[in-house]
Amino acid sequence: MKHNKILISIIVILFLGSCQDFEELEKDPNRPTSVTPGLVLNGVLNDMTERAWNNTQRWNQFNCCNYNYYGTQEYNWTSATLYYTTLKNVVKMEEEAVSGGAKALNPYAALGKFLRAYFYYRMTMIVGDLPQEEALQGLQELTPEYDTQKQIFGKILNWLDTANTDIAALISSGDNTLSGDFYYNNDLRKWQKAVNSFKLRVLVQLSKKETDADLNIKAKFAEVLSNKSKYPLFDSNLDNLQYVYNNQFNKYPINPDNFGFDATRYNYSSTYLNRLSALKDPRVFIMAEPAGEKLKSGLTPTSYEAFVGADPNQDLGDMSSKAGIDNGAGYLPGKYSFFNRKRFYSTYTAENTIQIGYPELCFNIAEGIHRGWATGNAEEWYVKGIQASHRFYGLKEGDNDVYFFKAGGSPTNSADYNKYTIQFNWEQYYAQAGVKYETGSAGLDKILLQKYLAFFQNSGWEAYFNYRRTGIPSFSENGPGTGNSGKIPKRFQYPSSELTTNSENLTEALTRQFGGKDDINLDMWVIK
Amino acid sequence: MITGKVVSKADGTPVPSASVTLKGSSSGTSSNVDGIFSIRAKPGDVIQISGVGIKMQEFTVGSGSSLIAEIETDAKVMSEVVVTALGIRKESKRIGYSIQEVKGADLVKAREPNPVNGLVGKVAGLTVAPSAELLGTPSLILRGSDPRRGQVPLFVVDGVPISSDTYNFAPDDIESYSILKGPSASALYGYRGQNGAIIINTKKGSKDKRGFSVEFNSSTMIDDGFLAIPKVQDEYGPGDHGKYSFVDGRGGGLNDGDYDVWGPKFEGQLIPQYDSPVDPVTGARQGTPWVARGKNNLERFIKSGLLMVNSIAVSSSSEKSDLRFSATHNYQEGIVPNTKLSTMNFNMGNTFRLTPKLTFESNVNFSRQYTENFPDVVYGPNSIIYNITIWGGADWDVMDPGIRGIWQPGKEGVQSLYAEYQRYHNPWLMVEKWPRGHFKNDVYGYASLKYKISPSFELMGRSAITTFNVFRSEKMPFSAHPYGREEGKGDYREDKRDLFENNTDLLLTYTNNGKITKGLDIRASAGGNVRTFRYASTFATTDYLNVPEVYNFSNSRNPVKVYNFNSQMQVLSWYGFADISYKNYVNLSVTGRWDKLSTLPSGNNLYFYPSASLSSVLSEYIKLPEVISFLKLRASIANVKGGLTSPTRGPAAYPIGYGTPYVTAYDGPTYENVAAYTTPLVYNNQPAAYYSNTLNNPSLKAFSRTNYEAGIDIRFLGNRLGLDVTYFQYKDGPGIFQRDVSQATGYIKEIVNGIETVRKGWEVSVNGTVIKPKQRTGFSWDVMFNWSTYEEELTAIYPGVSSLNSNFFIGDNRGDRLINIGDRVDAIYGASFAKTEDGQLINDGGGRPIVLPRGQMLGYANPDWVWAINNKFGYKNFSLSFQFDGRVGGSLVNYIQRQTFRGGRHAETVQGAMGEARLQDYNGVKSWDGPGVQIASGSLQYDPVTGQITNLKDVTFKDNETKQFLQDWISRYYAAEEANIVSKTFSKLREVIIGYTFPSSMLGKSFIKGASVSLVGRNLLYFSNVKDVDLDQYPGFAAYSTLQTPTTRRYGINLNFTF
Repeated sequence: MKHNKILISIIVILFLGSCQDFEELEKDPNRPTSVTPGLVLNGVLNDMTERAWNNTQRWNQFNCCNYNYYGTQEYNWTSATLYYTTLKNVVKMEEEAVSGGAKALNPYAALGKFLRAYFYYRMTMIVGDLPQEEALQGLQELTPEYDTQKQIFGKILNWLDTANTDIAALISSGDNTLSGDFYYNNDLRKWQKAVNSFKLRVLVQLSKKETDADLNIKAKFAEVLSNKSKYPLFDSNLDNLQYVYNNQFNKYPINPDNFGFDATRYNYSSTYLNRLSALKDPRVFIMAEPAGEKLKSGLTPTSYEAFVGADPNQDLGDMSSKAGIDNGAGYLPGKYSFFNRKRFYSTYTAENTIQIGYPELCFNIAEGIHRGWATGNAEEWYVKGIQASHRFYGLKEGDNDVYFFKAGGSPTNSADYNKYTIQFNWEQYYAQAGVKYETGSAGLDKILLQKYLAFFQNSGWEAYFNYRRTGIPSFSENGPGTGNSGKIPKRFQYPSSELTTNSENLTEALTRQFGGKDDINLDMWVIK
Repeated sequence: MITGKVVSKADGTPVPSASVTLKGSSSGTSSNVDGIFSIRAKPGDVIQISGVGIKMQEFTVGSGSSLIAEIETDAKVMSEVVVTALGIRKESKRIGYSIQEVKGADLVKAREPNPVNGLVGKVAGLTVAPSAELLGTPSLILRGSDPRRGQVPLFVVDGVPISSDTYNFAPDDIESYSILKGPSASALYGYRGQNGAIIINTKKGSKDKRGFSVEFNSSTMIDDGFLAIPKVQDEYGPGDHGKYSFVDGRGGGLNDGDYDVWGPKFEGQLIPQYDSPVDPVTGARQGTPWVARGKNNLERFIKSGLLMVNSIAVSSSSEKSDLRFSATHNYQEGIVPNTKLSTMNFNMGNTFRLTPKLTFESNVNFSRQYTENFPDVVYGPNSIIYNITIWGGADWDVMDPGIRGIWQPGKEGVQSLYAEYQRYHNPWLMVEKWPRGHFKNDVYGYASLKYKISPSFELMGRSAITTFNVFRSEKMPFSAHPYGREEGKGDYREDKRDLFENNTDLLLTYTNNGKITKGLDIRASAGGNVRTFRYASTFATTDYLNVPEVYNFSNSRNPVKVYNFNSQMQVLSWYGFADISYKNYVNLSVTGRWDKLSTLPSGNNLYFYPSASLSSVLSEYIKLPEVISFLKLRASIANVKGGLTSPTRGPAAYPIGYGTPYVTAYDGPTYENVAAYTTPLVYNNQPAAYYSNTLNNPSLKAFSRTNYEAGIDIRFLGNRLGLDVTYFQYKDGPGIFQRDVSQATGYIKEIVNGIETVRKGWEVSVNGTVIKPKQRTGFSWDVMFNWSTYEEELTAIYPGVSSLNSNFFIGDNRGDRLINIGDRVDAIYGASFAKTEDGQLINDGGGRPIVLPRGQMLGYANPDWVWAINNKFGYKNFSLSFQFDGRVGGSLVNYIQRQTFRGGRHAETVQGAMGEARLQDYNGVKSWDGPGVQIASGSLQYDPVTGQITNLKDVTFKDNETKQFLQDWISRYYAAEEANIVSKTFSKLREVIIGYTFPSSMLGKSFIKGASVSLVGRNLLYFSNVKDVDLDQYPGFAAYSTLQTPTTRRYGINLNFTF
């Protein structure tokens, strides 16, 4: 039995010796539970970025997909994409800043207010009422109540004011603790301009509520314009909040890699391109290729009439076959203009994608003044807006080189482009009846049209929001290609998870807004 | 007092439960599971041994104190000792739960590349869905478990759990498999046994009377002849709306890049093609005749597969020891050229009876899998099927010398030659220049020491390891461009993993050893287990290469991407079990186990779960009609708990996400209850941090599963016909799941205890001897039939929550609908068409079907039932056996059908009305008149929640008047899941074995002791309405088909020699 005891002892010791600290074992050794706030900011800014050439831009009717396998133009909208998880990261960023030793007033807290305003604006504009006061509390509030869209807009404007004041204070105190900002390289001065420029976007989108005493839009608008030192704004395209692509890691969405997939499967929409060519706007030569069929019929490549977009409401099968007709050797296929190969397919960094831009700011100021919200010269800002957009596309007074693809070439081979020189004369352009500013509603329509043209492939939903608010420019609908029984919808549905997780509050919000029905074709408060 | 052992005269195996009585006396006992008995007797006394299947025999006690009683038995009864959990041998009649045993010898003739595939149809309730892919692992479904939700059985070798990829054991080393179907049987393995266990019992020592034997087994089989292959058309080539013209194969021409196969008809017309001559002056490509040069490219590309298995085993047995060593080499050539797989397996098992009290036992298995190249099949440009069958036209010939030569002249190593350069690949480039290597070393083994403290007490100490390291590499050449790699500048990647696990057990066992007091027979054990687990993996990839064909990380153009994942875990367990029999009436088994599991939050990481089972052999004490020779009833209940572990794990990261991520056995922590940041490289290769979108839960408890089962085992006509019926019910939950929370909280999910389901099912096994082997005719016929069914229903979710998104259980479903309490969990929800009240398709203004805004229920994924029937005939030295098996019911969305239609490749697009319309498409005429109606007045309104039409009554319809191109109609129609839903019913002639055993008279006195030869075939016939995919690969919850390599018949020869 003695041996047994020794054996048992040895085994018992082995057992005990192999026991490890269970609490340590529960932790994940692969992921951090705390990081620097700059890393979180970097993530939030990545979430914020709205790229070019996505579905949103197709619903903005800038371009069309003619290949069913890749997509359609249909407006069969269902659940909205919301950004609460990103806003949660904004909260985490602020917490990490404070736990890292920052003061209560710090750049992350200040930017946090702007980011809240930015994301709530984007969310409420596509659905309507949303949880705000009770939101972002994790387990503390699992069924947050919905605030009205009006309350949310009030909050957005407050956040923007506070962000502006806080950033100003940080600038004057010389705070340089911001990191992780790939948009402005941690320059708070630029952020301050973005905050105020964005505020004007928000105010203009509230134009249907210009008489609302609580929001007091007109006065807020005038206040910004009247005090430039308190409310610095973008001064040029150099101030744009814009996403800059790079060759290796963040390629422009259309580039040499996907030329073979996309170049003939997407074409321009008539809503955009036909208006541009009707105004004899030379941006058309930079953005597009002349339609192969028009060239074959004898038009010169630099005639505006050669630039044709497809009506997005048409049957996709029709668009597909029209986009693919064989025009014979030496001509690109199709009846429509495709995206300019030189600009978009010859490099990986075609153009920056504006999120909040100077041209829009100019048009917003022009619109506000035109509406009588503030004193000033609406035409001056209108002209500045068009010219800023022209500058964005590198268009200059006098000779401009433009490039069109030789049928059958390779997009990265510069020899495969024909170069044409076109003349641009601003006075001549501006003198056109369709361009020249005028007073009255026709003048406002021109501001809105030029704003739309400047929104091409940028600023997310703004082109659609402006159309929804004003009807300018009119979008193409009522065809088999429109979907949604031929109508352009007004909003998205709430995420279906709200139905299972927060249904009481959702039902209440739906009842007060849309008669209880989560209908995409009904108007929300901001456009009533 | 003497001790004796009852053994079978035929093969020396112990005979349990034999009744042992002293002649002329009332004292008696019975032999235990090892055949041992003790009885008070003196030399010269006569002992009578009898029992079920045993003719009463008498033995006279000799002068010693021990006795070996060799008796003649009926083999059918003798097979009834089965190996249960922890390697404990039990008589099946005393077991209160369902267990089925399969003899290893039945699976080594008609071989499969994967040893587990052989189990298909052999066990009621076990579905084995073999993978047709090289290195593919079968999907194992026990009682309706769902492998996609981590419900996979545990593999156990000689009582010790191992980490298994199902390749790391050799069929020739296996004496038998015991399939423990439910947790009742496997509760002793803790939560890992919750989905049942496949217990492998290795061969031990030699039964040869000489004390040693050498066994050699050799199989050679050929894969040839397709069972299921997509039927494609070779009348029209690539292009769009009938148009195609090659310029650069990258979109420079007319539909010459990333094309569909909706191009021009092959009519010999002149069209510029990839190999058409280019005018040296103008640079323009001339037209050459457009003909179907590449008819049946896939069939001509694929070759016959080969499977060769050779194994040799040397074994010896003596009074002191049993030894066995074996080596097995498994060599497989895939049907895709230049793909192969080898597996070497070495196994060594010893038993040393050191003293009468002390026994040492060990077994070590080493296996190595190695291949320089195995194919990837998953949907994408890395797949041969994707390239040739779905998106490849017949305009190029796979055997054309240029294509076969792979590279463009002068651009060797840099640019391949092919008919297209944007999306698709020259198949020879894929198989010869784009190798994917796999090298895995896998070792498991144990050593145990058993010490008999006294006749009643035994102490066992055992330590086992299971460990593997795997190295995978992929060398992607320049001009290959799978998803996300459009620059086509090559890549090299490595995936390394290392797993180590130790299980150490200490177990004290008490047996009353046949000393029945007051009718009670007891065996009870108590012990502890420490499981220590460690895992480390890295995944590294270049981000394009600088120099072609140099596959080294230092050759990366952009910074190398390297990721790792490490984990550790420990489980401390205390467990006990007892088997108690009261006379012949009743057998009760109870188990209990406490686990302390490091993955669960402290405070909730220690938990207990019990099991109990009861059985009674009625026929032993109730007089039944003569026709019934045996009747047993059984019932059991078992509970298992665990949590936050995963049975499998993929790569540490998958930064460039094309192809199939490799999944290995894991069974370690998921860390899903840890709230933390992920820090991917996002903008300009700089890191960004994102906080978890799942709320963690410090008070999370272990999940729970409870199994109830009851069964009857009844045999008739002197055991000639046996029927075993089991009813089982799993009550799963509360489990651990991530419930949806309102996004407005900032989180999407919260990890909680919840979700309860009930799965109920039946299993039926029939064994029959239609014709008993008779000396006179030499003819015999045995039949085995297995049948099973199950259904799983959602019974609870979480307090206050009554529905889940429709993609909760079936991840590929559209998730925009809800499934509610009371619904089946395997419902398929997919895109569906708007229809009138009488079921006609409603078309839009373009004449194409309108798709409802939300998914609709299309069917259930699980089969209605699964069956197998096996017949075995014997005539003298010849034998013939064959098995049919299959599954009935269940639905599947046929992705191959969807893609071959949409790509214009499906054979039906050139047949009948479609064929006529297709010709008109090519002529530029819209002629296809899609079925159904169009809206005459009104417009459709949809329910925002269900997506169903709410105002059908307000809308009037007219016949569909809009003619269109067939291509556009197909593209819409076949994109919807509803158009591609098929029944999963199929059956196969699974195996045929014609065997001949050389009679010993023929072998005479030569050194060969035994020899047999078999002609074998597997998967010879396939019956189904679906012929483009092999439905065999989509069992249980599989609701969406994937791409698969065409399946083939396999046939060959098996030789077996014993020396």
